[in-house]
Amino acid sequence: MTYSSELIKGTLKTIVLKLLADNKKMYGYEITQKVKELTQDRIQITEGALYPTLHALEADKLVTTQTEYIGRRVRKYYSLSAAGKTVSKEKVSELAAFMNTMALLLDLQLKTR
Amino acid sequence: MFTITDSHIDFILCDLRAKGIRIDDLQNNLLDHICILAEENLEDGDDFEMFYRSNIPRFYRQQLYEIEEETLFLLKRRKCFALLSRLQFFLLLFVLLIGPIICWTIATLGGPGQKNDADAIIRACEGGFVFSLFPLVTLLVLFLTPERFDPLIPKGARILLGWRPLVEIVRP
Repeated sequence: MTYSSELIKGTLKTIVLKLLADNKKMYGYEITQKVKELTQDRIQITEGALYPTLHALEADKLVTTQTEYIGRRVRKYYSLSAAGKTVSKEKVSELAAFMNTMALLLDLQLKTR
Repeated sequence: MFTITDSHIDFILCDLRAKGIRIDDLQNNLLDHICILAEENLEDGDDFEMFYRSNIPRFYRQQLYEIEEETLFLLKRRKCFALLSRLQFFLLLFVLLIGPIICWTIATLGGPGQKNDADAIIRACEGGFVFSLFPLVTLLVLFLTPERFDPLIPKGARILLGWRPLVEIVRP
């Protein structure tokens, strides 16, 4: 089962920030594959959602970028800035609190690792 | 493993530009993404153009330039101080247009010629109603018939309020 894009859209920034917090630097394709791998294909980030988000994070100075030339191609690596690390923690905490609230609201049992 | 050549890169960049991707960074990101997809899914001798044409639609819902529009929207949104729906924008316009008239009417309450408070309130309501009729009807027509009278703000559009520009319409 894959989740709807509406559900994922609100959490995409948090997902990207958390992945970058856990991995030193990543490029776009790598992020999509990592999400697929970690969620066993249940969450598939589309390119149309990922790249605008990465650009916005860069404009907000939450990520820093490095470019690498592969022939004529340019690969852009993203990593968290100091501000990004703080925001990442805040966003993850906020999402966790939201999930707990939703669990209460919908009377769900959340699995905890 | 499939080898990406310069002609493949030219083909991709040309197609991205033709489909409305103008931001260099975005072009580079998408180019790299497509190249990796091709390298991982094709074998030497496979038809690259066919692979490209069958895979590029998964990047968007209707048109590829949606990615560029979404990028620009997110960048603009950072600078704006309010993001309004169409309904909210029209309500704001209504308040801005009719608000001063109502304030003026209230301010004139109790002035010379008023017999009593009830009379003043009735006159204020009458004045407010008459003055509000024109903007109210105009806004109602604009809101209810966007296709005919209001091509600038179509249904589903979002309105950004900022400084430069003051008002920006983001089409759905």
